[in-house]
Amino acid sequence: MQVVSPASLSDALALQSQDGNRLCAGGTALQLEWTKGLAKPDRLVSLASISELKGIDAGLESLRVGALTTLADLIRARDISVALPLLHHALGKIAAPSIRNQATLGGNIAGLSGCLLPALLVLEAKVAWLTPAGATEMPLENWLSGHSLNGILTHAMLPSQGPEDRWTFRKIGLRAAFTPSVINVAARLSLGAEGDVLSARIAVGGGIVAPVRLSEAERFLEGQALEAVDWKGLHACLMETIAAPADAFRSAAYRKSVAANALVHGLGGELPDRKVYRACAPEYDVVPPEGELLLSRQEQPNAWHERPDMAAKVAGRLNYLTDVRKPDMLVGRILRAGLPHARILSLDTSVAEALPGVVSVVTHRDIKGSNAFGIVIQDQPALCYDKVRHCGDPVAAVAAIDAETAERALSLIRVEYEELETVTDAQAALLPDAPFVHDNGNLQRELHFSRGDAEAGFRRAAHVIEETYVTPRQMHGFMETEGGHAYVDEDGLLHVFAGGQHGARDRLQLARILAMPEERIRVVTSPTGGAFGGKDELTVQPVLALLALKSRRPVRLQLSRAESVLAGQKRNPMSIRMKTAIDSEGKLVAHEVDVLAEAGAYASLGPGVLETALEHAAGPYIIENVRTSGRLAYTNNGTCGAFRGFGANQLTFAIECQMDKLAAECGLTALEIRRRNLRKPTDAGYLGQLVAPTERSEEMLAAAGASKLWTCPQGPQPDGEWIVGTGMALNYQGNGLGSVVPDPAGGRLSLSKTGMIEGGFGLDELGQGLLTLVKATVAAELGCARQDVEAVTGDTAAAPDSGSTTASRGTYVVWATTRRAAPEFADKMRKAAGRILGRDPDMLALAPGGFKERGTNSGDLLLSFRQLADELDEGELPSVTVAYEFPKNDYTAGNARLIFAFGAALARVAVSRVTGEVRVLDLHQHTAAGPVMDLAAYLGQIEGGAVQGLGFTLTEDAPMRDARYMTANLDTYMLPGIQDSARHMRVFALESLDANDAYGPRGVGELGIGAVTPAIANAVFAATGHLRTVTPFQPEEILAALVERP
Amino acid sequence: MTTSFTLNGQACSLTCQPETPLVKVLRDELAMTATKEACSIGRCGACLVLINGKAANACLTMAFQIAGADVVTTEGLENDPLATAIRLALAEENAFQCGYCAPGFVMALVALLKEHPAPSEDEIRASLEGNICRCTGYHSIMRGALAAVRLVQETMK
Repeated sequence: MQVVSPASLSDALALQSQDGNRLCAGGTALQLEWTKGLAKPDRLVSLASISELKGIDAGLESLRVGALTTLADLIRARDISVALPLLHHALGKIAAPSIRNQATLGGNIAGLSGCLLPALLVLEAKVAWLTPAGATEMPLENWLSGHSLNGILTHAMLPSQGPEDRWTFRKIGLRAAFTPSVINVAARLSLGAEGDVLSARIAVGGGIVAPVRLSEAERFLEGQALEAVDWKGLHACLMETIAAPADAFRSAAYRKSVAANALVHGLGGELPDRKVYRACAPEYDVVPPEGELLLSRQEQPNAWHERPDMAAKVAGRLNYLTDVRKPDMLVGRILRAGLPHARILSLDTSVAEALPGVVSVVTHRDIKGSNAFGIVIQDQPALCYDKVRHCGDPVAAVAAIDAETAERALSLIRVEYEELETVTDAQAALLPDAPFVHDNGNLQRELHFSRGDAEAGFRRAAHVIEETYVTPRQMHGFMETEGGHAYVDEDGLLHVFAGGQHGARDRLQLARILAMPEERIRVVTSPTGGAFGGKDELTVQPVLALLALKSRRPVRLQLSRAESVLAGQKRNPMSIRMKTAIDSEGKLVAHEVDVLAEAGAYASLGPGVLETALEHAAGPYIIENVRTSGRLAYTNNGTCGAFRGFGANQLTFAIECQMDKLAAECGLTALEIRRRNLRKPTDAGYLGQLVAPTERSEEMLAAAGASKLWTCPQGPQPDGEWIVGTGMALNYQGNGLGSVVPDPAGGRLSLSKTGMIEGGFGLDELGQGLLTLVKATVAAELGCARQDVEAVTGDTAAAPDSGSTTASRGTYVVWATTRRAAPEFADKMRKAAGRILGRDPDMLALAPGGFKERGTNSGDLLLSFRQLADELDEGELPSVTVAYEFPKNDYTAGNARLIFAFGAALARVAVSRVTGEVRVLDLHQHTAAGPVMDLAAYLGQIEGGAVQGLGFTLTEDAPMRDARYMTANLDTYMLPGIQDSARHMRVFALESLDANDAYGPRGVGELGIGAVTPAIANAVFAATGHLRTVTPFQPEEILAALVERP
Repeated sequence: MTTSFTLNGQACSLTCQPETPLVKVLRDELAMTATKEACSIGRCGACLVLINGKAANACLTMAFQIAGADVVTTEGLENDPLATAIRLALAEENAFQCGYCAPGFVMALVALLKEHPAPSEDEIRASLEGNICRCTGYHSIMRGALAAVRLVQETMK
């Protein structure tokens, strides 16, 4: 592509009319078109150098705004904020600050889908064009209805608003801010002295909605007294005249009704046909648990420590594994199937290999070992050979001198496919005539558990609630996509650097694929830019390894976001049918749960997710009669696997909503129904399995009951739009991999030659705060300072295997390893120091910085750790390595955990009567997970988990159609932004452990996500009288429920 | 084509396709990887840089568009007193977890505080609408940003 930058309008005009040329203003929308596959022009005509197109000139009655004026400059312009408050307001609602620095008014208009168009329409903007026939100016509306002009948009003329005009502008999107437009509305009424509507201008537009004035609605209003407007009539008129299409995310009917609602509400009218709900919160008289702390830096300033990696991360100085660049490094790219299900007939890489700059091409033929991986079941090919089972399946990979060459090479690889019938949902996958994704059928796993007699229980029921809860294909959305680099050293040792969650297991899997001994492979997995379970399974490691081995050169490779969406794992979608019975005393008597989960094309950890889901099916409650079953089905819908919560959060959503629904049914409060059924210390789990002491469910329930949120304002708000409600949910999250899975743990304490006390763990710093945790734990146990401790993690060559950085197990592993190793390590340290000092080792104690005399309060150090290290040879440096099994119970009929952490979440939400959207006003989390080892890390895990849970509840899904993702990137996959986060969050911790508790601090990596969804669901239930059972909640359904309900 | 611009105060000239996104130029051509890339379509803010003093998504800025411009990346903020204060406050508050989004958030805050030295909490929140953080839920970032505003007011009067 060629770019020309004409200096004058006339030059630009001449270029514009030539074939294959395309005008470019800011270029923001243009580039998005290219990423969606639209062809680039031969020549781009940049208008950026034409000064006549820029600037704002205030005239007598209108502003002249050059087409190249950026949206940010329009916001800054005082002329606009004063004379055109509607436009000023609208500008703040579209795009994001950095985009507005680049996007222009002209681009917003000429692109035809700009979010500003409805605002400009009601302001009666005129657009001026330079055409080959000369300059011409016309109302925007006229241009929009014709828009076949051949020319350049030079400026817009914007007449001032009347100072007394009544106006509204609203952008309705998929999330609170920086969102694709669902529909935008604008209206402006000029009022006469008597308050009568002299003229009305109303418009809709934005995104896929054609920008258009709504002249019937305008005529409807004109001449009416504003005080006496028939709003119901206006609403009906709008519903009749707004035209809006549907897309994968919102229906046409929804767009229409929210636009009508927003216009009526925005102009001060009453929304029609909506009842006022009497949402109110119960008044609880409960005493909060003693010793619960509000976690914050202000409350516990002495417990606040800056993380060791924070300054480097903030300054961009931390090198991630995807940041490594070396002069001789090749760039890798992966050829993906692009078809959801197909047999590979032939695969020819010869043309690609011949392309200059291509160094290596790898296919299944280069795999010397087993071309199958998977943490539990090895059903996933490293590079496909017989068939492809989802669109993102890898078929070949290229290493070339640069990215462009590698990408060109991919396009030269010839693969012949025979397309096969696809399996597009879990239900259909299990039908008798469904095509098989794998040779042994689509039922990957079937599980059944029971206790007591569910039928008998249901016969005794006073109330039975049956609901089906549906949960989404949530995307991990780690900011650093899957990637890294690899090389083979001069000794033939393979080094693979890629973000992961268990280096030793990645190495084991690579060894199987490559048919190499594990000792010949080093895997580095930290630091990683977020994982959340999505980097637990292998991602790019096999391809990186194959390319490095074949090319014998360093290779780097990182998935683009679009590729990560296509190929990366997601949360297993689930459909959970739950039938729960309660007797006349409010006691749960029977519980039946049937889960249908989707694996996608490969099992990965899906079977474990399903089993964990069932383990949490009864929540923290005692139910005599329980029957649970689960099935996991293969489909051609991408791949799924581990994701924070690991099935527990889905089932917590279901059981905690059942509790509120049952409470409503039998007239109990949310608190009381839980109190009557709560587990007690020493109670077994529902499978009969042993659960470790330090049960804190009662305390969490008390904390929830005593929450101040119940006494905050509830119900319909004076603004006429928002209805507020509060809900709660309990949480009960297992730690560790479980009873029937090998769960080895371990680590090392050692003194380094530089005098640092090293905590060596084969765990990973994913952002959760492992490094700070190691410092905190080792320092607390040994009596040294945090600064004396260095965490050595995420490298199979540098630290022993500690098991996976998953399942909330890291905190325990670091604590238990340190406890086990510390006595011997301290002993070795004292002995070594005693030898050097010529003192009795028993009279020495480890202290911050070094050794002190035992039993004195003197701050004097006898010997620093550094001095000790200086005195010792490498081989003499004290070091203690321990290995043990993560604590588990002896239950073997299924996988069940021994150690649990407890929590309660409370959400206070506002539900919009205009859009059906839910905003979380307050989110309070009460937690009981033993001692808080590091305040900032603990707080961060609970807060961060909360907002991932919020996304799972309100905005996040990666829907598929015909086994293809409907979302390709973060433009339509709605990760919560800052405006979606709960407005206020509080995190509390109850740290106490029972006297007989041997398990120390629990992990909180998953505790923060578990109860958030049901707390929000129960809050929406309280606000609207409707329980939402499908996440993410569809605003359309909430809106419909608000209208229907008497 | 060859594009000449100022990069972190130094004259810079490079030859590439005119539509090459600036983020690729930085990370791949110049091996300056403090600028992160996470969506490539301007939807996450990880790649923010300053162009002529204003925040810009390096992934949506084509090489030809920076001709003659003054580009400042995260590497170029090392000696900037405002950025230093913002970084200090964010680090002390443990504002981030994995940290991959952090350089982008810092850049957004630098741009904000250069223009509005005393923003309200709502203004800070609005200024961060274009930045995605998947780890923290944003509250630690807001605490860090508020601390940064206080620190900047105290130290840079």
